Amino acid sequence: MKRRDFLKGCLISGAAASLGVPSKSLAVGSFEGYPDAMGILVDTTRCVGCRSCEAACNKEQKLPEPDVPFDDLSVFEEKRRTTEKAYTVVNRYEAGDGKDPQFRKMQCNHCNEPGCLTSCFVNAYTKTREGAVIYDSKICVGCRTCMVACPFNIPAYSYSSAFNPVVKKCIFCYHTRLKYGKPPACVEICPREVLTFGLRSDLIKIAHERIRETPDRYIDHLYGEKELGGTSWMYLAAVPPEKIGLDETVGNEPIISNVKEFLGMVPMVLTIWPALFTGFHLLATRNKDHGADHHTHSEQEDGKK
Amino acid sequence: MNKLIASGATVVDSPQKSSGRNWTIMEKLFLGLSFQQYIAQAIRNPFNWVFGIIFAIGIPIIIGRFIFGLSWVTHSSYDYPWGLFLGFGLFGMVPLSSSGFQLGTACEVFGRHDLEPIERLGLLNGLLGYFFAVIFLLCDLGQPWRLPYPMVLAYGPAAVLFLVAWHVATYLSVQIAEVSVSFFEWIGLPIGIRAIRKITLGMTVSGIILSTLHQGALGALFTYAPGKVHPLWYSSSFQWIHFFVSSIPGGLCMVIVVSTIASKTMSWRFDERFKDSLDRITISLAKGASMGLATYLVIKLISIAHDNKWGYFLTGYGHWYLVEIMIGVIIPMALLAYSIHHKKVAIIRFGALLVVLGIFLNRLNTAYITFNWKLPYREIPHWREVAICITVYSIYIVVYRFILYRLPIFYQWKAAEELAPAYVAETETRHQRRAPEELALAYAAKAENDQ
Amino acid sequence: MQTKRFWLAGMMATVLLATVPGTGRGITIPDTVTLHSQSKLYEPFVFPHAKHILIVKECSNCHHHTTGTLVQDPNCIRCHRNSSETAVVSCKGCHLPDAFTATAIKEKNKKIYHRDMPSLKAAMHQSCIDCHNKMKQGPVGCQDCHVYTKEGAAFYNSGEFAPKKKPAKGSHGGH
Repeated sequence: MKRRDFLKGCLISGAAASLGVPSKSLAVGSFEGYPDAMGILVDTTRCVGCRSCEAACNKEQKLPEPDVPFDDLSVFEEKRRTTEKAYTVVNRYEAGDGKDPQFRKMQCNHCNEPGCLTSCFVNAYTKTREGAVIYDSKICVGCRTCMVACPFNIPAYSYSSAFNPVVKKCIFCYHTRLKYGKPPACVEICPREVLTFGLRSDLIKIAHERIRETPDRYIDHLYGEKELGGTSWMYLAAVPPEKIGLDETVGNEPIISNVKEFLGMVPMVLTIWPALFTGFHLLATRNKDHGADHHTHSEQEDGKK
Repeated sequence: MNKLIASGATVVDSPQKSSGRNWTIMEKLFLGLSFQQYIAQAIRNPFNWVFGIIFAIGIPIIIGRFIFGLSWVTHSSYDYPWGLFLGFGLFGMVPLSSSGFQLGTACEVFGRHDLEPIERLGLLNGLLGYFFAVIFLLCDLGQPWRLPYPMVLAYGPAAVLFLVAWHVATYLSVQIAEVSVSFFEWIGLPIGIRAIRKITLGMTVSGIILSTLHQGALGALFTYAPGKVHPLWYSSSFQWIHFFVSSIPGGLCMVIVVSTIASKTMSWRFDERFKDSLDRITISLAKGASMGLATYLVIKLISIAHDNKWGYFLTGYGHWYLVEIMIGVIIPMALLAYSIHHKKVAIIRFGALLVVLGIFLNRLNTAYITFNWKLPYREIPHWREVAICITVYSIYIVVYRFILYRLPIFYQWKAAEELAPAYVAETETRHQRRAPEELALAYAAKAENDQ
Repeated sequence: MQTKRFWLAGMMATVLLATVPGTGRGITIPDTVTLHSQSKLYEPFVFPHAKHILIVKECSNCHHHTTGTLVQDPNCIRCHRNSSETAVVSCKGCHLPDAFTATAIKEKNKKIYHRDMPSLKAAMHQSCIDCHNKMKQGPVGCQDCHVYTKEGAAFYNSGEFAPKKKPAKGSHGGH
């Protein structure tokens, strides 16, 4: 949280039209995650689409009853996304080239520097020391900028609630498990250890080790290691990421990097504009009484009517 | 109204009736007409019937939205979290409301007194635009009653929206103060006018700051979604500049459009000063708008070149982009250039309308039509969502009209002491008619002398 | 909270391999192995070991370097080129029932080799399903091997716990 507090401090001071501008722009986009943050390595080559993770998530997070049973595999006919009723979904992707279809679990990737968090104007999101991106529904206003900002289209919103609609997304089972050092429910139920739980730094090593040991099984890319400044959930795959619905065009910069050019400009405007325009005013009205006087002047003019 | 005035009815434009007695508030509200006259003219107006039908359908839907929730009026899309309320309502309304700070700046900071007759319209247009943008926001927010949270409870100062919230809130207060001068005149509170006069320059300068920032900030909001906004409408470096610069012609043209509509529908409310200066002011505003448009076009092209996005022009989205640029920028630029040169005010007004539509199209494209261009489906709004948008815009128009009918926006409030010698006022008015122009000329001459 | 979730923690994690003698010298090879997780979701299931010996013949296909012919896997032969059969050949002899406890993660990181060893449950599901897929025979679906208990059916909202068919709601959000 330190960094966020730092940003906060900088912007507050910026809003007060004072110092702190250069340091803020330096800080933006340089956060690489907490050292002891946990993560999940998703080895999509192991996934057979049993949907147990979906069931476990549903029970753990006390989500509403699903539309179809969790062992109904007809859901793979279409591509699904996370919803207010499902924090995680598994999709099937045709890999082509005579390869078997690939399955990929989809949930919040718990970015190191999350777009949702940086876009939230009430600071409802928190990146915990353990690596989870959690959400405080009590202060959420419901602007849904986080949903716009999420490059993975993860947060859902309980639109159907008239009086307490909130954002619904995977929270890494933070309150019930991660906080106590336990893996999330989906990891625990996964029969084939598609999901490996561990320190993010270790998982990166393990992933590259797997690629090195069985190069035929994987393409040489760990999605999420660098993407968007790094995510806590990372993906190994037999096919290029875009074949399993992972956007490769997101780049390695966190979302906030795109915004920093504007944020960097804010304190400048706040400090320079008043002087600049007051100066313009003095110039434009220099040949007569300036300031408040000119109003009385124009009033007199008007008054002649 | 015209008929009534022709038949001898007087409309309120001063604190006192011709008989020397002060107007009561009720009389002021009824424009100085009798209750029967007022109702009769309202019923005669066909627009009121249209609005009546819209409200009969739309207002229950708005109430329903707050009872049954957003899922009742929208498709509850997770992929398009911002629907028409923001894409069409808020993002369309705010740039068209930049007139407040522009005319404020021109008149108060740069001393362009030739624009003064329309300054109040600019300010009011700004205020109402922002106010109804907030109304749209309230319709869209999941928990609108928590809107004050970013001000009082929880701060997310690294978020662009945080800046927008603060700036819009502050700027709305500033604009209320600016417009309240007219209100104080109308209601008869000279002390209020004096108080506002004292802080006008400060408010105007803060208006510039706040406007620059949050017009830009609305654009910067989209830099959170680099993968979702279509590359032609997206630019990490230029997004906020695009939104800010396009709001300049947007606001000016909106003032032209509103004054045009007013001159067609409520010219009885214009005083001589406004009537006489409107064409001249329209041309001045159009000059400003064409400068803005030219800048906007250049920056648009630079941003395309900067990220080398020319290839997208070959796609369907590229063609759509060109349509937007043609309607909103290039055609109006040509029209404005031609008509400014030949002083053809009618064409200017048409060009201004195109600019306004172009702004709407641009914001709608950015936030809605081309948003999520990588997704395989396009979102079609729910009919209730459309109905709410139309209703809110109708309320906007009705409130706009209500204020224009009453407050001294198009006319100058006659102070009590000037009224007493009626003949003086009359002769003075004739004499005064060209005064603003003369004033401008005088300033120009002075400026030259000084150099 | 922790105790409440205890059953989940142990779920599917501990598999009892019934009556497996620890020697790989062919003295006692079980004909069947009852795989019974502590999970309440599935009924125990009897693995026909003898049948697999007949079909697969090669022990090291499943038992790595611990028994049968020497391993071929290039990653394994770096160490186990000449390894003799080990005393422990059962799956549970090496694969941990729960790979992701805090201590397990810590222990793993101390290791130099076998750091990425799957848990017992994962080892079996990977071995079984991958091979069945490759051979195009044998069960691959969950309930082809082990059927739900009542609790399991409830967990998966299956069978008698299946959701009542609701009228499909035309929502664009579900894409």
